[in-house]
Amino acid sequence: MFQNRAEALALALPAALFAAAVFLVPVVILLSDGFRSSAGGWTISAYTDFFSNSLNQTVFLRTLKLGALVTVVSAVIGYAAAFAIVSLEPGAKGRMTGLVVLPLMISPVARTYAWIVILGRTGIVNQAFQALGITEVPLRILFSETAIFIGLLQLFLPLMIISLISALENMPKDAIPAARVLGANWFQVFWKVVLPLTKEGLVIGGTLVFTGCLTAYITPAILGGSKVLMLETLLYQQVSVSNNFVSASVIAFILIVMSFAANILLKRVATARNKMRSRP
Amino acid sequence: MKKVIFASGAVLMLATGAAQAQEKTLTISVYALAQDEYKQIIYDPFEKVCGCKLVVETGNSVERIAKMEANKANPVVDMAVVSMADALAASRAGLIDKVDTSKLSNFDKLYDIAKDPNKDGMSVGYTFYATSIAYRSDKMKIESWADLLKPEYASHIAWPNVTTNQGPPALYMLGQALGKDTPDLKAAIAAVGEKKDEIVTFYEKSSQLVQLMQQEEIWAAPIGRFTWAPFTKLGMPIAWATPKEGQTGGMNVMVVTKGSKNRDLALQFMDFWLSADVQTKVAEKMIDSPANKEVKLSEAAANNLTYGEETAKSLKLIPSAVALDNRAGWIKSWNEAVGQ
Repeated sequence: MFQNRAEALALALPAALFAAAVFLVPVVILLSDGFRSSAGGWTISAYTDFFSNSLNQTVFLRTLKLGALVTVVSAVIGYAAAFAIVSLEPGAKGRMTGLVVLPLMISPVARTYAWIVILGRTGIVNQAFQALGITEVPLRILFSETAIFIGLLQLFLPLMIISLISALENMPKDAIPAARVLGANWFQVFWKVVLPLTKEGLVIGGTLVFTGCLTAYITPAILGGSKVLMLETLLYQQVSVSNNFVSASVIAFILIVMSFAANILLKRVATARNKMRSRP
Repeated sequence: MKKVIFASGAVLMLATGAAQAQEKTLTISVYALAQDEYKQIIYDPFEKVCGCKLVVETGNSVERIAKMEANKANPVVDMAVVSMADALAASRAGLIDKVDTSKLSNFDKLYDIAKDPNKDGMSVGYTFYATSIAYRSDKMKIESWADLLKPEYASHIAWPNVTTNQGPPALYMLGQALGKDTPDLKAAIAAVGEKKDEIVTFYEKSSQLVQLMQQEEIWAAPIGRFTWAPFTKLGMPIAWATPKEGQTGGMNVMVVTKGSKNRDLALQFMDFWLSADVQTKVAEKMIDSPANKEVKLSEAAANNLTYGEETAKSLKLIPSAVALDNRAGWIKSWNEAVGQ
């Protein structure tokens, strides 16, 4: 397309400069704060301090756990929903996809506040549980890990479904019938045919959901509050209240590492399956 | 001869006055809230009175003090409004000067609590608020701060997070109620920590409480008086407690920057802000409770704000030095006892 590499580079230069100036440089400055010692040298003591604190350990593990749990559950629900949607007539497919996307157009603040009403002691969930005799006294769901899990799942499930829909649509139409004809059961069809062919979508969806869970602020802030801190809410607390920018930059670094790690891990899982498949 | 001197003096004053009117600029640093009302009630009228230009910098106090510190050698801001504790921090950092209260005609009209909050002559209070407990009077009886932690109540209350403005004062009063009021708030934090699983939430935004109260998720929470109004509109039996240990609260103060070239103008502005007229107007907009005791408020405003001699006298505020020296420690012990 281009005469030479120089031309292509010249065209990419403005965007690259912009990204470097407003993103890369500030991020490097921010992250380097976490490695500065008060004497002016370099140190990792901010990190060892961070992880030696038991609250920070709890928050880190909780963030990891909830992020992973939401990603896995949204993948399971996402595959089912995406299958159902892909198998619809084109018109209905468009409408259903629209419905999936719809929540993304509503402010997360409004959505999250709605959960307070729904999950409250006098909310519809508790009313239903009491009417069905599941519990006598209303359950305390708000301000717990369960509440954050529900809120995050609802928030990010659409991203997983959309990624999987486009992956499933790109899959050859006769792949599943062919597998069935060759005697595969439904589990084998999914595991050996669908999953390998849609892994790109799963990796993209999984990364979006996991990093979304790590970096979501409003949902854990409203549904968990300071009682159930996540890394993002802890980060906010460190900056806005404690004015502890070193600790904040440590958390920011951890979040970035976790996001990259999740992406690499998901890709690994996908390629590992690939290799298995291509083995003679 | 006298006439000539007088006339030339007058001409000189007029001339310098006119010259100053063009040059005089007062830079103030304030909280970012209610700026439209402030402009209408304070800034614009003051510009007319002083014939000067007012430059307003806004932000939270952490940002603004950091900025003052950065410009220490060559101050940009002439006067600032900050919290009581931040005023002491600014004083310790050598950023502010003593306030020459002899130049404030309204100084004597202030409630005693506002006259010299940090007892160092470095600040003057312009507004304060009470912090007490809003509670469902049909479900519970609150006579002491410690009542909130009673077994039958604890699972129906929200407690302010230590990081909010209401957090430390509430713990301070709880400590008094428990008879263990050390500056590190250890006993109070431990008491809250013991009930952490029962307490509904440790709130960070008081706006959230109205919804929780409406949904009967909570029956009570320590709040600042300035957030009281919405609770009275819920149509529920919600009362403002007057615990036997008293009410607590907070105060915002005015300070003058060390090295400011517009000291007199800054004092003139402070005096204007402290006048009964301005304080009444700001109070009637339900923004700041008046520190000027000559202010007479309508019933609606009085009910929503912290108002009156008795209330002002009953407030037990955390001494700024205690807050400054212990803030980091409070957050640490809180995170250990409550945060997980």
